Amino acid sequence: MGKLATEMLKGTLEGIVLAILSSRPAYGYEITAQLRDQGFSDIAEGTVYALLVRIEQRGLVDVEKVPSEKGPPRKVYSLNDQGREYLEEFWRTWSFLAERLEQLREGGN
Amino acid sequence: MATGSNEPKSRYLQYLEVVTGSLEEKKRYRHYKARIKQLPENYRIAVEAVERYLMHFGPADGAGAMAMYEDLADLFEQGAADRTPIRDIVGDDPIEFVEAFMANYPLGQYRARERNRFANAIARAAGETTPPQDRTE
Repeated sequence: MGKLATEMLKGTLEGIVLAILSSRPAYGYEITAQLRDQGFSDIAEGTVYALLVRIEQRGLVDVEKVPSEKGPPRKVYSLNDQGREYLEEFWRTWSFLAERLEQLREGGN
Repeated sequence: MATGSNEPKSRYLQYLEVVTGSLEEKKRYRHYKARIKQLPENYRIAVEAVERYLMHFGPADGAGAMAMYEDLADLFEQGAADRTPIRDIVGDDPIEFVEAFMANYPLGQYRARERNRFANAIARAAGETTPPQDRTE
């Protein structure tokens, strides 16, 4: 993943993570693994973790602590109603942005 | 919920905390330090490096800072339990990680003060009469 891709990913990572959580609850490592599978190979687990802390603070996800075989209990994140609303807004904004960029590429305005 | 019998002690504690800072926070910080000591060496070295950075640029003290250190310990304890390589936790650009992490917690006093000063100066320059909102949060 190049530098440009990393920069562009920054603004959209929150929406991407919420979209992943909209299909089913997951814990941090699962989310990072899924992102890597989808080609975001450079993503740091700590960066995803920081993002999860943020969306938890903003009340977009519910968190449940689940005991794990090894190590501390895992925090499992699930999208709540506020998060679903936020995700809808993210997709609307994304559509707007994608449409405008496509217009620019085609040389219209 | 102040009962009569508790009052002298709580007053004493109040006085003491003026002198020493919050005892509750000190206890939380000691607990965090003890957790870090338990980590395998390379994870501990990484956490201490993050901690040093946060001491410089992160929140100065208070409950917000304690929550930050506890979240930091959670991340590296989990990483150590999963044997996640350090690079996979902090990424190729550790600055990017630490800044994203730090952004979740209250600003350090120095940064908060300077941001206020800057926003106020611009408001004056723009001829605005209403004082801008306090941005210390």
